[in-house]
Amino acid sequence: MNIPKQPLNQRIFKYSLTSLIVVSAIWSASGLEITLDRILNAPAQIGTLVGAMFPLDLSSEAFERIIPKVFESLFIAWAGTVIGAIFSFPISFLAANNITIGSVNRVIKQILNGIRAFPELILAFVFLPITGLGPLTGTLAVGIHSIGTLGKLSSEVIEGIDEGPLESIKASGGSKINELTFGVIPQVMPTITSYWLYRFEINLRASAVLGVVGAGGVGQELINQLRFRDFPRAGTVLICTIVLVLTADTISAAIRNRIIKGKTVKS
Amino acid sequence: MINYPKKPSPSLLVLIGIPGGIFFSVFSFLQIGFNFQDFKNNLSNRYLVTDPLFNPKWAWAWENSSDALVETIQIAILASIIGCAVALPLSFYASRATNLNKYSYFVYKSFLNLVRTIPDLFWAMIFTVAVGIGPFAGVLALLMFSLAIMGKLLSETIDSIDPGPMEAAKATGASHNQSVFTSALPQVLPNFTAYFLYIFELCIRASVILGLVGAGGVGRIIETQRIFLRFDRISPIIVLILVVVILIEQFSVWLRRKIL
Repeated sequence: MNIPKQPLNQRIFKYSLTSLIVVSAIWSASGLEITLDRILNAPAQIGTLVGAMFPLDLSSEAFERIIPKVFESLFIAWAGTVIGAIFSFPISFLAANNITIGSVNRVIKQILNGIRAFPELILAFVFLPITGLGPLTGTLAVGIHSIGTLGKLSSEVIEGIDEGPLESIKASGGSKINELTFGVIPQVMPTITSYWLYRFEINLRASAVLGVVGAGGVGQELINQLRFRDFPRAGTVLICTIVLVLTADTISAAIRNRIIKGKTVKS
Repeated sequence: MINYPKKPSPSLLVLIGIPGGIFFSVFSFLQIGFNFQDFKNNLSNRYLVTDPLFNPKWAWAWENSSDALVETIQIAILASIIGCAVALPLSFYASRATNLNKYSYFVYKSFLNLVRTIPDLFWAMIFTVAVGIGPFAGVLALLMFSLAIMGKLLSETIDSIDPGPMEAAKATGASHNQSVFTSALPQVLPNFTAYFLYIFELCIRASVILGLVGAGGVGRIIETQRIFLRFDRISPIIVLILVVVILIEQFSVWLRRKIL
């Protein structure tokens, strides 16, 4: 049987990519001094730690400390998302190339890219001396990062709209504002709302770790318990975080599904 | 007189969701303690941060952070390669299209979901305690991070593959495993490569902050300078990181375009 061969340049590309990956992996492993010895020991060490976490610390004192922190993370994530949503919504119109002229949207897009480049944690510790230790710092950090990401996503949604309704509004004598309120917003609102919820899910994870630099939330509790070697309580913190994230994810995913796909009709 | 169709009444989700969302937002802001007056007062302290932030000490940063920056990149490379390699078989088990056993599908899917709920820095904290402070903990943390993302993205891609080729392979007498290996795997390989590059970018970004909890990389230097509020030393490091991240992103965008 004559099986056609893969073209030569494709094969060269494939092999060079594979060798690039292998070489860079070896370079990294040797640079980080990761020996086989350490890799083989790692599972046992992790097992010891996980074993130390059980039985979990289920005393009421532990919960009194942990639960408010867990909810603080939730509030930070939600408030940060609200800040991001409120500010990114008008900005995303300015950043869309079918709404504004070229030079404006290019400048706004670059600004959004710039905001997006800073991780929440870095924003958080830059704000820390100004806004103080506490959830406010975390909220601002999460919110500002969300403006960047939501602005980019929303503007891409606006760029992808169907131009037909806009034309018909123009044809019936509508102004530019009418075009936006009756043509663009109804088209983009479902997708943008679902992006807001999606961002909330991401922000929840981000706000959980912000406590590491003292910006509020459950991360502070975890790092403290790990430093004091109070592993059962650290385990409780972890479990509480997992429960919170899973619950929020499930609810948010269900709402997103409903918004995008519409009501499911029972057949 | 034109007969306008009646506007449908808003759904229950809108009726409850919008007031509920607004109420929860107000409640969150109250809980966080957003006080505009305090905020304005504190804003007068901003010179503590902004003055050093805009007077970067380039020479110091270049001298002290270049090694750590290389370490950061190495952590990201190693973690994303191993993480994605581990995720490749796992996501076939976590997809309904290729795993026929309902129970093992559920187990693998839940495992991937569980890994995904724990934030990357939490993994880093756990691993620094378990295997000791240093880049090895960072590699393990990002490994879990990339495993979780790749598992989710790839298993959902496998869910939506074209079942035709698998059926054709089975019709010629292939076993289930053979049909997965010869028909399902080639269908998702281009996506796998694209996701891998995307995860590599995410890992580069995430590896920057790993050092804050002692898991190696350039974050270690940021952390020590942060405690002393030496923002004049931090800001050039941040700019250096940005340059590296942007360069790597450009490279990966170019490569992705070449593959797809």
